Amino acid sequence: MIKFYIDSKEVTATKGETILDVARRENIYIPTMCYLPKASANASCRMCCIEVKGQDGFVLSCNTPPVEGIEVITNSDSLYHERQNIMKIYNVNHPLQCGVCDKSGECDLQNKTLEFDVGEQNFAVRDQVRKKKKWGIHTYDPALCILCERCTTVCNETVGNEALYIKPGGYKSHIDIKLSNCIQCGECISVCPVGAMASTEFKYTVNAWELDKIPSSCSHCSSACQLNYESKDGRIRRVTNESDFSSLCGAGRFGFDFENKVEAKDPLAFHKAVEAFKNASNVLFSSIITNEEAYLLNELKKKLGFNLVNEEARAYQNFMKSFAKFANTSLYNATIDDLKSSEYILSVGCSIESDNPMVKFGASQAVKYKKAFVCTIAPVEEYAISNVVSLYINNEVGSEEAALSMIADTFIEDKSTQQEFYDSLDFGYLSGESNISEEEIALLKVNYQRKENPLLIIGEDVINHPRANNIAAIAGYLQKSGLFKVMVIPPFTNTLGVSLICDLDEAKAGLSVGYNVSSNFTLSAKGDGDLDMPALNQQEGTFVNIDKSLVVLNAGATYNGYELNDIANALGVKSDNIIDYTSKLGFKDTEFDDLDNYFDNVGNAYRGYKIQATQNQENLKLDEVGELGEFNGSVVYSRNPLRQFSIFTKDCKQLNEKMLLVGSEQFAIASKIKSGDNVKFSVKGVEFIRHFKVDKHMKGTVAYNPTFDMDLKSSNYRYNQVKLEVINE
Amino acid sequence: MKNENFNDRNVSDDYFKVDIADYPTTGWGKFKRVIDRTFKIELLVGLWVVLREMFKFNIHTVKYPEEKMPIGPRYRAVHEMKRLWESDTDRCIGCGLCEKICISNCIRIDTKIDENSRKEVSEYSINLGRCIFCGYCAEVCPELAITHGGEYENASDQREHFTMYQDMLTPLDKMKAGKQLEFEGFGAITPHEDERVKKTPLAY
Repeated sequence: MIKFYIDSKEVTATKGETILDVARRENIYIPTMCYLPKASANASCRMCCIEVKGQDGFVLSCNTPPVEGIEVITNSDSLYHERQNIMKIYNVNHPLQCGVCDKSGECDLQNKTLEFDVGEQNFAVRDQVRKKKKWGIHTYDPALCILCERCTTVCNETVGNEALYIKPGGYKSHIDIKLSNCIQCGECISVCPVGAMASTEFKYTVNAWELDKIPSSCSHCSSACQLNYESKDGRIRRVTNESDFSSLCGAGRFGFDFENKVEAKDPLAFHKAVEAFKNASNVLFSSIITNEEAYLLNELKKKLGFNLVNEEARAYQNFMKSFAKFANTSLYNATIDDLKSSEYILSVGCSIESDNPMVKFGASQAVKYKKAFVCTIAPVEEYAISNVVSLYINNEVGSEEAALSMIADTFIEDKSTQQEFYDSLDFGYLSGESNISEEEIALLKVNYQRKENPLLIIGEDVINHPRANNIAAIAGYLQKSGLFKVMVIPPFTNTLGVSLICDLDEAKAGLSVGYNVSSNFTLSAKGDGDLDMPALNQQEGTFVNIDKSLVVLNAGATYNGYELNDIANALGVKSDNIIDYTSKLGFKDTEFDDLDNYFDNVGNAYRGYKIQATQNQENLKLDEVGELGEFNGSVVYSRNPLRQFSIFTKDCKQLNEKMLLVGSEQFAIASKIKSGDNVKFSVKGVEFIRHFKVDKHMKGTVAYNPTFDMDLKSSNYRYNQVKLEVINE
Repeated sequence: MKNENFNDRNVSDDYFKVDIADYPTTGWGKFKRVIDRTFKIELLVGLWVVLREMFKFNIHTVKYPEEKMPIGPRYRAVHEMKRLWESDTDRCIGCGLCEKICISNCIRIDTKIDENSRKEVSEYSINLGRCIFCGYCAEVCPELAITHGGEYENASDQREHFTMYQDMLTPLDKMKAGKQLEFEGFGAITPHEDERVKKTPLAY
């Protein structure tokens, strides 16, 4: 603890905090232009200068840690004059186009210009010809750019893509891009203090000050990031976030136009839906659903006796059950914040690049700020994250269990509790079958030394693995050992919530009702089913996200049709609003309206509440490692592009990823196909027709097969051996 | 300033005083006035004036709608969209201030980015059924683009009579002929504006 004074107020700082951090925590105002709390200080604007009593000159508060006993002055005549001069220089040749500028009304430059009373231009310099640039999803206007370097900082540190950089040249300096690195996440747009970086689609459509801000959570993946739907006339125009503290991926920021545009209620279809529920023997649903609706389906199940079917959530539920028995706690213990502060990240059975963007962002931040060691154990090397990953371990497809058991054997010192398991391990066999050498595992162990907050990420591959139970057991055992914090990525938005709330069954014979799943009678939020339902940006509710927090979802767009709650009311499970169920979910009895969704001014998130894990005292023995499966020939891996998750992201106007089977040249040769072919193949009975494209950076004989056009995530293992058939006309 | 300054409407001393007798207050006085008005020839005086003027054909009535009274430049009737004198292009930059300030919510504006990466107005309409012709839109417009014109004839077969952007925009032929009129009402540019403009230094 360092005790010092800001404006003669006594404050204390912890190690690592800067003067600016402390001032913000204590609600003392220091103006800034380039400072971004979530990234490292740029120190390019010099607005945050302060005086220290007894010291000559100004000190930058954004990157200076306080010293015991100093007296900081945040405002004086000379400081005001200094800051005013900085603003005067920022305004030299800045185009006077606030009337049309998108940023007008929320522009830092505009605010500070007014704050420091800059009414005229006193300095002069010959203006340059600066051409506007269009970089796909965003446009860049160098004339408006003040070169605060926020965009390059987030691109390099927060996102970790290193696409944006500064092209130096004195007064001609501007931001440039390496487009092949850009993942079109729009982080640069969100942090730009002026109108230089703007969304191509949004630009010049609505003024910032005309939009209603609706704080909500993203519904595309299990991170459920904080976001604000900004709407005008009941239509969402753009998505913003608390960009000072949190991030959004491209899907969250640009995939907002998935609302169900229903003209009016359809009483006939509604009547049919009620009848369908009465006659249904199964109700199928996907995990892209709120907790409340999942709870409601469960209540309907209790009343009507149908089987509630969600294979993907059931796989996750079973995985966590098995995990809980060995971890002695019902939930995994890592969060995204743990990931960011981790110095050692190990992932098994997951695509860090695309499964969950916040995991990818988190890993990248861990590397930038904590110099983390990142190792991915997966059959494919993801070249796009090669700047993040320190070590790729390529295991054979299907051998994740072997990998985890080898890790357990190498890392755990005290083997007495599971002696039989260790005795049964045959390292030679495991290493041979999984293609992971003992040296690689030893290397993992070497790098583990003196690393803080080690973290193990368990991905979707193993949740749906044929040996998922035993893998979950080893993962749980590793969490209990305390060697790693463990994170089990929920595959869909609310898989975790559904698995905690619903009592899921296998499908039985008879008629089925599908909620966002095509079936005999389909309730669809896409608008293509038998009865329309509100999409997730049109309803209120909650999710349980990857951080095991219950977070709030608010409606951004208007909806005119029936809801699931109307059907439930007709069936006798009555409540006025769907959100009346929030307090009955079984976590905490907080009402929906009492849930928070904001960040305070130092960046502490107040979003819903944390779900408490239940403890148990079971003391079971691990099973022996089973026979490892053989996968030869062409293997496809169900993996979506970075900005695509489900049918809801598929048709978003600004998310234009195509359905491409992407493989290496080696894959093309082995499967006797070439780039540009249309190929047909079937995975566990589901037939796919995809356009094939060779990706020169890829290696190996595994191709990526996107599945975001399917309404259900399969509960099968994500790697599948296929026979490809060329169907060119 | 005090209220008396406003209450004192006596701006000049040389008023022309009209010689009008005091009104009668008593019953007898009122009776006498009725008799006077009925049996004196005052009525015929008025009729004579009408007859005389009729034969002189000196008629002051404006024969609306063939004839119309001239409208003052500050008159606030149906809106007009002006063009720039320099280039004949639209003055409107699509800032949306008129939509925001409109107290009867009758203006709707949609904008988009055009092929030259500039802001372009894609839809603009004024619902004249709601418009109260307060003039705020013309006042707030930073470009003097939306103004009021002299067109006060709003007869329509429906209440919601809309005016679209193209209808309000000064026609090109009128513009080319230099016949665009500037609005002189509230929000218009004031005289001697040039002298008050501060110039950006160009001393490099």
